[in-house]
Amino acid sequence: MRIIFERTGGIMGLKSRLTINLDELPVDQSRNLSRLVDEANFFTLPKDSSGRPAPDSFQYTITVETDTTSHTVHTSDITAAEELRPLLQELSQRARSQRGSKA
Amino acid sequence: MHAHHSILCITPPHMLQEIVRNGSPTQRDIALQTLITSEQIRGQRRVMKSMAAFMATAVPSGNKERAIYDVKNGTQLPGTLVRGEGDPASSDPAVNEAYDGSGVTYDLFFDIYGRNSINNNGLKLESNVHYQKGYDNAFWDGKQMVYGDGDEDLPVAERLFNRFTISLDIIAHELTHGVTQYEANLAYWDQAGALNESMSDVYGSLVKQYQRKQTASEADWIIGEGLFTSNVNGVGIRTMKAPGTAYNDPVLGKDPQPAHMKDYVRTVEDNGGVHINSGVPNHAFYVTALELGGNAWEKAGRIWYKTLTDKLQERSTFQQACDLTYEAAGELYGVNSLEQQAVKKGWDAVGITIGGDAPTGCLSTILGIFGMKAPAEN
Ligand SMILES: [Zn+2]
Repeated sequence: MRIIFERTGGIMGLKSRLTINLDELPVDQSRNLSRLVDEANFFTLPKDSSGRPAPDSFQYTITVETDTTSHTVHTSDITAAEELRPLLQELSQRARSQRGSKA
Repeated sequence: MHAHHSILCITPPHMLQEIVRNGSPTQRDIALQTLITSEQIRGQRRVMKSMAAFMATAVPSGNKERAIYDVKNGTQLPGTLVRGEGDPASSDPAVNEAYDGSGVTYDLFFDIYGRNSINNNGLKLESNVHYQKGYDNAFWDGKQMVYGDGDEDLPVAERLFNRFTISLDIIAHELTHGVTQYEANLAYWDQAGALNESMSDVYGSLVKQYQRKQTASEADWIIGEGLFTSNVNGVGIRTMKAPGTAYNDPVLGKDPQPAHMKDYVRTVEDNGGVHINSGVPNHAFYVTALELGGNAWEKAGRIWYKTLTDKLQERSTFQQACDLTYEAAGELYGVNSLEQQAVKKGWDAVGITIGGDAPTGCLSTILGIFGMKAPAEN
């Protein structure tokens, strides 16, 4: 499984992007991410729930690819589905800890 | 995908039409997605506007009333009430900064422009602190202010951001988004969005100057001073005095703001570069204020306030902001007054001439290519 995470907007308008190949992660981390994708019911989430842009909020684009399928979701701080938020938080944390390195 | 958006946007019209006619399904999809998103923005703004009108009548007028909520690292808004109007200070600095900062912001708008809160009808100023964990941002969600703690969860050596309530001008910036929503209700994309951003920076900086009792020439005109940790090579997130020079850092990159129309950035990211191109109107305000001298909130701030509350509309452009600030200055201080001349000089400095035809933004261009009109006023 591969996850591509992109964040734009925010009060600085900076963009960050992160690509994660789950095969390349330690198994506990890989399992954790798979679990978060499952718990988000990711493949059933609407493609675009970004809504009216709220000033300075972040916009997110998340793509999850497996061998058989691929799904992309656009959302924001304001409109993200509750079940997606743990995955969003995890990906945001990972993007922050890799700031400066080209993902 | 966003990279494609940018390419699409800088592509000349005849080539774009070619892409729509002969492009791959993906290319067509990108173009169409842009249109769909724009249409959604347009529909929802109408709903927001009627909601705003409803809220304005539902809330009784009153004096300064603040409420600070602790989101406790979650995302549920509002969080738990931790400090109401008149309550004693908290042991939590973020709570006190949000309380004091929204108070000073209320004061500038009330003392100088006679405005009673965000909706000019005593709306309670609601601030949420400790949003999420490691949230390096602050925003206005249409009803309330929301602040993250920056990089509090990272080791000190890796932190770039302090808590977002640390800068008074960030607090005033967010609160001004509320004022704009109830007044011009500038759309949050393209030039209208950059004007929306600029209004928030203008009053963000003016609130700080008002608190510090600084004249235009004494003020630093920095937005977000103190927000970066010492790990960042930068003075703040933006500077109205010299847009494009606020930071130049190996991790964050370089401040991308233009100070002149010749460097205007055409992009659809960040809603059409609203935080980038705001550098142009920001600098126009700065030059006007410097030209006028004295306290920037008195004359320049009043001209811009009249423009925001009486003249600008949802889809206003930089050119219209230029012409309307000029008009407002004429109404307030007289035609050909020094004040009106200062406004002209401000816009001249960024390459926009009174009555000229400065180019507009990217999304509007795309809409035009597809034979669609940009969202109409109201
Ligand atoms: Zn803003």
